Amino acid sequence: MTITLQTLLKKDWFGLLIVVILSGILITLFKPAFLSSFNLYVLMVSTSYMLIIALAQMIIISIGQMNLSVGAIGGLVAISFSGVMEVYHLSVPLAIFIGLAIGVICGFLNGFITVKSGISAFIITLATLYIFKGINLGITEAEPFYEIPSAVKNFGNAKIGGTPIPYLIIIPIIITVLMWVLMNRTETGRHMLAYGNSVQSAELLGISSSKVVITAHVISGTLAAVAGMLVVCRLQLGTPNIGDSWLLPSFAAPVIGGAILAGGKVDVIATSLGVLIVAIISQALVIFKIDPFFVQIFLGLMILLAVFINRYREYKQEASRKVFTHD
Amino acid sequence: MTELCLEINRADKAFPGVQALSKANFKLKKGSIHALLGENGAGKSTLIKIITGIHKQDHGDLLINNSARVLNTPNDATLYGISVVHQERNLIRRFSVGENLMLNNLPRNHFGLIDYKEIAIQSKKWLEIMDLNIDPATLVSDLTVAKMQLCEIAKALSLKSKILLLDEPTSSLSPQESENLFLLLKKIVRDEGVSIVFVSHKLEEVFSICDEVTVLRDGKNACTSEKIENLNRKKLVKLMIGRDEQIVRAKSQNSKNKNLVLKLNNVKSEIGHRDINLELHESEIVGLYGLVGAGRTELAKCLIGIEKIVSGDVEINGLKQTIHSPKTALEKFRIGYISEDRKKEGLILIHNVLDNSSITVWSKIKKAFGYVTDGMISMKVTPYIQQLEVKTPSNYQLISNLSGGNQQKISVVKWLAAGTDILIIDEPTVGIDIKTKAYLHKLIIELAETGTSIILISSDMPEMIGLADRILVMKDFKISGEVNNNHNYDKTSAAIMEYIHD
Repeated sequence: MTITLQTLLKKDWFGLLIVVILSGILITLFKPAFLSSFNLYVLMVSTSYMLIIALAQMIIISIGQMNLSVGAIGGLVAISFSGVMEVYHLSVPLAIFIGLAIGVICGFLNGFITVKSGISAFIITLATLYIFKGINLGITEAEPFYEIPSAVKNFGNAKIGGTPIPYLIIIPIIITVLMWVLMNRTETGRHMLAYGNSVQSAELLGISSSKVVITAHVISGTLAAVAGMLVVCRLQLGTPNIGDSWLLPSFAAPVIGGAILAGGKVDVIATSLGVLIVAIISQALVIFKIDPFFVQIFLGLMILLAVFINRYREYKQEASRKVFTHD
Repeated sequence: MTELCLEINRADKAFPGVQALSKANFKLKKGSIHALLGENGAGKSTLIKIITGIHKQDHGDLLINNSARVLNTPNDATLYGISVVHQERNLIRRFSVGENLMLNNLPRNHFGLIDYKEIAIQSKKWLEIMDLNIDPATLVSDLTVAKMQLCEIAKALSLKSKILLLDEPTSSLSPQESENLFLLLKKIVRDEGVSIVFVSHKLEEVFSICDEVTVLRDGKNACTSEKIENLNRKKLVKLMIGRDEQIVRAKSQNSKNKNLVLKLNNVKSEIGHRDINLELHESEIVGLYGLVGAGRTELAKCLIGIEKIVSGDVEINGLKQTIHSPKTALEKFRIGYISEDRKKEGLILIHNVLDNSSITVWSKIKKAFGYVTDGMISMKVTPYIQQLEVKTPSNYQLISNLSGGNQQKISVVKWLAAGTDILIIDEPTVGIDIKTKAYLHKLIIELAETGTSIILISSDMPEMIGLADRILVMKDFKISGEVNNNHNYDKTSAAIMEYIHD
């Protein structure tokens, strides 16, 4: 297939890429400081863990469900990760392993209960949100863990060589690539999207719904765990309120990236660009010294705009089909 | 050649309150096309669900290729080579045709990743069997309904299925598309060694392609594996309904001198209608005939304000009007629309009979602050529910528990209760059995006789010619001709076909 402007325009990510480039150029024209090494560093740091949070939600959106407990899982993992290092003096790799295991278990529980009960994931993850958060508060009694090993702290602060690129962004980039491969080139990913498109059709095609749903939730839980640990690296401490503010942004990026909440349509590249756009806007408002309270208004408008554009494009495609394709 | 590939012996299946099947038998011969017929509620769908592993029979055996099998899930059925081509399309619309065909067994490359080139190569083979000359990379959502169905059959073949179940396969196909489908079905029976169970309400189709017929009535066999040569339409109908068929036909009338209630003048719509001229008189039934995709349902949606009219005039009772929304259509102009898709658009399946039949009257009977009681509603709609002989244990039964025919009656009740002057009825009898169909036809005629003006959208030629006073033929979102209906089937149908194929 040859790449033409026409095929590019059909891609969800193409329009977003243009927005990223244009807004980058525009902001730089007014405030060249936007491209300063410090600013780019801050931009990449905030993008890094948001990227993983967005992907953790995106994979659940792909099967037509929602995971309200992303933040609660991330928070529980964050305090466990820092807690086992401070209290039991476990080595960093072992702590990472424990963190990931908790993410896998939480995700598995979400998926398992959803499948076995037949109740919507929205309700199940609402319940587990409270449970995971409750365990978090029970363990910490709302006190942060401060004693983080220097290796972890360094990882959270270091830049690669003389560039403004933070180490923190390496893992999110690798995960983004893996997620793209998962959703586009593996049977597991395609079955998830098929399930999201139509549960009934997928089941009749012999796709196991429990496998699809549990896998998606396990991946979501694992990604939330990774994000939780990255935030600990970044903050240099494990506070119990990590994850509290993740929920709504986790939906924002996939939606800006053209995801359909009913399921069956998500785009990894577009979701990543969605994260980047949110970060750029937040950053730009800081640079232009606009009251930070306005950031949320801009985000809201951004989401509306993205949804309108997607709706318009779908409408156009539908309309052209209606008139010209019957033979 | 009497080898059986599927056999069901003395199957019983009970649901709470209903004995859906009692001692039902079904025998499918290898390499044959076997019609499974019966009225709605005769146990046909239950039998299909047993064959496809959705339900399990309470008693009785199921044999596949002469060995007894237990099907616990639809997946088991697929493993034993049974595939269903459903009324509801079974394809993943946002995936390509090739990926849909290969979805159960996606080809991989050395890295274990999906190999899209290989998908294209492998799926091409199955598409060619179905004479489908399309690029496997085409998105399913870009296909016509007919082609989607052929893809679904190709998909079943790719799963090495030897028993295909086709449930109302032609309900949204044009006559030519159906013809093409039948040729292909005969071809795959001959060349691929497939056996087919064919479920349809259209008896003409049964006679044109089936070898044997099994009829169910009230959960029992009215006949088992009867050779088609020994049957004719009359005998078959009698087997199905237990008595002779009544053909309903409207009296010919000349409505031209009655009041003009609706007039469209060179209407152009946003979704592609052009030069639409239409006149509807009081008590008149105007038919809109055309192939699927000709723009008939879409025109109805323009009239009730869902789709936008961009130019031309809409006159209601002689006055130029604009219809903004279904709400104004109903409350101001008293135009109602009975959807073709009763499950998605017509009824709220998880609500009960009472709520569904009264949606349209709430705004009329509500008191201060929108206060409405069940009693008030009941008084308003119960007469209609009784008049239409809706079979329901009570007004509080959930709609999803009623049969298709009774669901359709409730859609009609809803608009009767609303007291509309103009009623647009879209494919009223798709998937409805002969007995209820005749009843609905009578009802439509009675409605017209008592002063309602009706626009009837139907792809069922006998229905159209039986009911309509005038028939407008639509093609490509335009009206291609008008036929004055004298209820003479041969002449009128020939005139209609001429406008479709000019």
